[in-house]
Order: sequence, then structure tokens, then C-alpha cells
Amino acid sequence: MSEQPSTPTIVASFKPGARADIAARAELSEIDASTRAPLMLFLVSAVLWLIVGTAFAIISSYKLHSPGFLGDIEWLTFGRARTAHLNAVIYGWATNAAVGVAFWLMARLSRSVVRHGGILLFAVALWNIGVTIGIIGILKGDSTSVEWLEMPTYATPLLFIAYALVGAWAVITFRYGKSKHIYVSQWYILAALFWFPWLYSVAQMMIIFAPARGTVQALVNWWFGHNVLGLWFTPIGLASVYYFLPKVLGKPIHSYYLSILGFWSLAIFYNWAGVHHLVGGPVPAWVITAGIAASFMMVVPVVVTGINHHLTMIGSFSALKYSPTLRFIVFGAVNYTLTSLIGSLMAARSVSETLHFTHFVVAHAHHGMYAFFTMVMFGAIYYILPRILLREWPNATLIRTHFWATAVGSMVYVVGLSIGGVVQGLMMNHTSPDGSVTYTVLQVVEATIPYLFSRSVAGILITVGHLAFAVNFFWMLSKKPVSQSSAPTLFRNPEEMELAAK
Amino acid sequence: MSDQPPQPKDGEPRDAITIEQARASDADIQQVHAILLREKSEPAESNRPIPIWLLLFVGAMTIFAITYIIRNSGGLEITFNKAALVYDERYTSAMDTGAGPAKPKVDPLVQGKKLFSTCATCHQGTGQGVPGVYPPLAKSEWVNGSEQRLIRVLLHGLTGELKVEGATYNGLMPNFGKGGGYNWSDENIAYVLTYIRQEWGNNAPAIDPATVTEIRTKGAAGRNKPWTQAELEAIN
Repeated sequence: MSEQPSTPTIVASFKPGARADIAARAELSEIDASTRAPLMLFLVSAVLWLIVGTAFAIISSYKLHSPGFLGDIEWLTFGRARTAHLNAVIYGWATNAAVGVAFWLMARLSRSVVRHGGILLFAVALWNIGVTIGIIGILKGDSTSVEWLEMPTYATPLLFIAYALVGAWAVITFRYGKSKHIYVSQWYILAALFWFPWLYSVAQMMIIFAPARGTVQALVNWWFGHNVLGLWFTPIGLASVYYFLPKVLGKPIHSYYLSILGFWSLAIFYNWAGVHHLVGGPVPAWVITAGIAASFMMVVPVVVTGINHHLTMIGSFSALKYSPTLRFIVFGAVNYTLTSLIGSLMAARSVSETLHFTHFVVAHAHHGMYAFFTMVMFGAIYYILPRILLREWPNATLIRTHFWATAVGSMVYVVGLSIGGVVQGLMMNHTSPDGSVTYTVLQVVEATIPYLFSRSVAGILITVGHLAFAVNFFWMLSKKPVSQSSAPTLFRNPEEMELAAK
Repeated sequence: MSDQPPQPKDGEPRDAITIEQARASDADIQQVHAILLREKSEPAESNRPIPIWLLLFVGAMTIFAITYIIRNSGGLEITFNKAALVYDERYTSAMDTGAGPAKPKVDPLVQGKKLFSTCATCHQGTGQGVPGVYPPLAKSEWVNGSEQRLIRVLLHGLTGELKVEGATYNGLMPNFGKGGGYNWSDENIAYVLTYIRQEWGNNAPAIDPATVTEIRTKGAAGRNKPWTQAELEAIN
């Protein structure tokens, strides 16, 4: 064995002939065990918030084509229900899942056990208390009305403290790591852990606590709103793809150099891109031009990362038939490429003119946040949970239901609403030969109703998927750890993929 | 078992042997590791080079983005001088006439009518005033007469007895000029006066904002109390 664990572990009881690999696995086992308590708290809260967020999503979606629905309940008016949905899925589901998965990846890749997990438990609790207070505040009518920062000021400091603790602990975990090589997933996670508090604190200060004047607020708002996606969720999503693709397939990432190019071009260009939301606004032309140019340059990291993943995957597509993790991750990675390329296109002034302020933008946001990020998180959770609970997923049919309902649901959502957005944009901009506007607002709204309805249908499909996932998740928690060597829960079992794909 | 690990047969996965044949016969070890053991190794990276066409693509994107910035920079120069105020990306410094941002064209009568809503409180929308209390503006000799006097009334106000169209009034007209309670700009004063001089059958010439400025800063500079009829009549 190349390296002895510092404390006597079960490895010591192996015979001298044991492979070095076994030692590495015993170490992973120790690391997994050290992440168990905080990670479970992250994931359980994430799944609960996912259900809450989905409920608000359905309510808001339904209201858009049937405005009378729950219309006389003050706490569930559209402005509050939609905002509660956004905050529940972003800060409740997605951030809990992201931090949990990032922590597990960081611990494993750094080869470092999580020290003082109790403080992490405290941070998770604080975070979730903050999100709960924030969402109740929004429902109660205390929203700040700044997009992505709606939580009232009595909730946000809690979030910041919780996040600071998590970030510090991840850095400590990294610093105490035994691994000499820093794997690409770790670059993304470390960067994201630095970027998010930077974005969040700057935006809170410049918009809420000590507001900047005039259009600077709008600039900061879009800088923040777009970067939460690109510099927080995207890096964590990509870190997961970079880990789970080679892990499940058992082969290396195609090229280290492509990884480097992809990472640094994202780091350099993304930060500028959000300004393209202000095309046509009272912001100096050069600022917007810079934002659009950076959005175009985002094609570089997207194409480079996509190629790197694709070339890793190539020749192993049959594995998609078996592994739930792989299928969710690949679905997410493909949609990352698609949504990012569409996003670069949307930044162009000529395209923005038609598509901005339409449902197309909403479809695009869900394409990125759901079809990419959320699906990758599902894949990650399917892989991680058996490792830290030492249990198998109870039911393959539920996983299958989860995959198909969410995959089909998210595609119906994105395609339907995108078409609706184009129709809406073209109608709003359409002028008669005498220069007057052709369609009234009401005509435009009526023309979008079928597409809004398709979103509700997609929402119901997605809800079915989430319920299947939640049932499987909590069923798994109630099971006993496996006592025999067991087979993974796969989509099908002709030749146990994870065992045999080498 | 011997120290030599069993060799996998062709096509048989190595990890499967590890699990099935239980290298360590201890059931506990197997239990802890069952799920972990079947994992593939931790991920690694190959060192394959970046394809040359991809580098060319990155170069092309860079050139495209730089061209885009140059063509849409809205007059940005190294010194950031005026670009911070340019909102049209097609602007270049060649278009700069030195006149600064163009002022929107204002129709004095439209703007004056808006402003008149303040005056209408007393003088009424019809310009007839209220008999015995507020003097009329329609056909008034003060409104249609000397612009020098009229501008002064609006700038500084008017007090004491005032004879209009044969009737005598005794009220107080507030001051609307800069520094006064209403603090109207010279332009706004010119607009509203032009409006009342050309409405309700009145037909006096328009008033130029420059005249208002001249009276405020030269003709009646330093005045800080309302005029009286006698004082105004001394002015031509």
C-alpha cells in the first residue's frame, strides 16, 4: 500500500495481499461516514423544500391562465406565490442540495474527513430557519420586490452567517486534504463557494441595506440575478458532472486541458453577462455592449465543456440504459449546453428586442435551473445516498417514474413556453403600416393562454416525478442498512452496470 | 486463500470477484464495503491535447467579440469622457456636434396648458377669475399688454389694489419665479404666459424664456417682494 491511514482502520485487518485500491475505498468509507449527519440534514431539507417549491409553482402557473384560482386568499396572490416558489426552490431546494453535494464531493476529492461536523449541522439549521422565515415573510407581504432578493431583511443575515460557516468549513476540508492533485470538480466548488457570498453580500448591500442610486441598482440586480445561476449553481452542477461521469463510467475525463480552458473562460466571462438584461434600458451603451460580448464569449466554456463531457461519454452511451445517476447527469449536461447556447443568442440586441420581457425568458431560466441543474442534483443524490446510508434505493420503478416525468415535463415546459414567448414577443412588437401597435395587451395575453396551459400540464408531470422521488427518498431513510452485499438499484439488471462496465 | 489475489477470468469484472469471493472472509468488512467496493475508482483526467480546430474556434469567437465591442461601443474612448452618457450603441464621436444631449422639443402651448392647472385654482379654467376676488385673465389689459410688467407679476407676485377691466381687486398673487414658493424655471414661466396670452380669444405675442431670464437676472435683479400697481405702471 502506498499510504497508510493515520489511524488503524478496518484496512489494517486486510491481508498484505489486499490491493491498494481497497485502502482507498476504506478511506472513502471513513470520509463518507464523516459527512453523513450534515449531508443528510442538507438533503432532507432540500427534498422538503423541493415539495414546497413545487406546490407554489403549480399554484402560480395555474393562476396565469385561470386568474380566479385562489384569487381571494391574500397570502396566495400571484405576486406572493410566485415569489415564494422562486425562493423555496432557489434557496431551499437548490442551494441545500448544492451545498450538500458540493461538501460530499469536496471531502471525497480532497481525501479529507469533515471535521467538527456539529458546526455544519448548526449552519444547515440556521440556513433553513432563515429560508423559512424569509418565505413566511414573503407570503405575509414583506417582500423587498427586488428579483432574486425578495426575502425581507430580517431573514437574510441568518442566511449569510449560515453560508459563511459552510464556506469556511469547505475550505478547511480542502486545506486538510491528503490529495496532492486538485481535481477539476474542486476548482469549480472552491470558486463557487467564494463567488456566491461575494455576489450575495454585494447585492444585499447595494440594493437593500445601503441602496445605490438610480440605475446602478438595476445593474447590480441583474449582475446578481444572472450570476447566481452562472457563478453559483452552474459551477456546482458542472463539478457534479465532472465527478459523476468518469466515476460511473470508470474512465478518465477526456482532457485536463479542456477542463482548464472551460473553467477559466467561465470564470472570466460569466461575471459580465448579466447586463444583457438591460438592453434598451437607461444604462450607458458600452456597459451593455460589454455584457453582450461576454455573453457571446460564454459559447467558449460551454462548447469546450460540452466537448470534454461528450468525448468522455463517447462509446459508453449504452450505460444510460442502466444507471439512474448517469441518465440524470447526462440529461443535465446536454441541457447545460443547449440552454447556454440559447442564452448567448438571447443576449444579442436584435433577439432581445423580441424575446425579452416575454415567457421565453421564464422558459430559459427553467431550462437552466431545472433541466440542467436540478436534474444533475437528482443524479448526484441517487449516487450519494446509498454510500452514506449503506442502503439501496428501495424501488427502481419510482426512479424510472421520477426520470421520465421530470425529463418529459421539463421539455414540455421549455418548448411550450419558449414558443409562447416568441408569439408574445412578435405580437407585442407588431405595428400596423401607420405605425400604431397592432394588438392590444389583452389580445397578446389571450394568445399566450394555450402555452401557459401547457406549462401547467408540464408542472403536473414534474410534480408526479418529485413525489415519486420523495417517496423513494423517505422510504429509503426508513429502511435498515444492507446486511449482505447487495446490488445497486438500476433501471434494469441484465449485467449489473456498475460492476461490469469496465 | 493464498496471498495471491484470484485473477479474473476474461470478461469477468474484477470488482465482482472482490465482492463474491470475499477477500476478507469477515462478514462485517463486507457489510461496510458492499456498496463502496463496487464503485469505480475516483475520477481522473487524461492529458489529451486540445484539438487545433477548437483553438481556432476560440480565436474566431474572440475576434468576433472584440469586433462587436468596437462597433457597438457607443463612443467609448480610453478616457471614458462622454461615453458614460451615451445610451445609443451606434453613436460615434463623429456624430458629436458639441451641443451636448439634444433637448426634447417642447410646445409652449401644450406645456403652458399643463402648468396653468396651478393658476386655474384662482383664475379658473375659463380664465374668467372670480368677480370681486380673483381678476380675469381673458381679455385682461395686463395679460395682453406689456410683457415686461406681466413677467414681473409672475416672477415676484402682486399685492394691493389692482384695476382690471374696470373692476378693482385687492388680493395677493404669489411669486412663481426661481427662489419663490413655486420655484418655476424661466422656461415654465414663459410657457404659461404664452398660453394665457393666446387662449380665450387673447392674441398677444409669445414670450421668450430668454426675456424672463433677462428680467430676473438684470431688469429686476434682487427683487424679493411683490409688486404694486403703481410700481408696475412706472415700467414700460
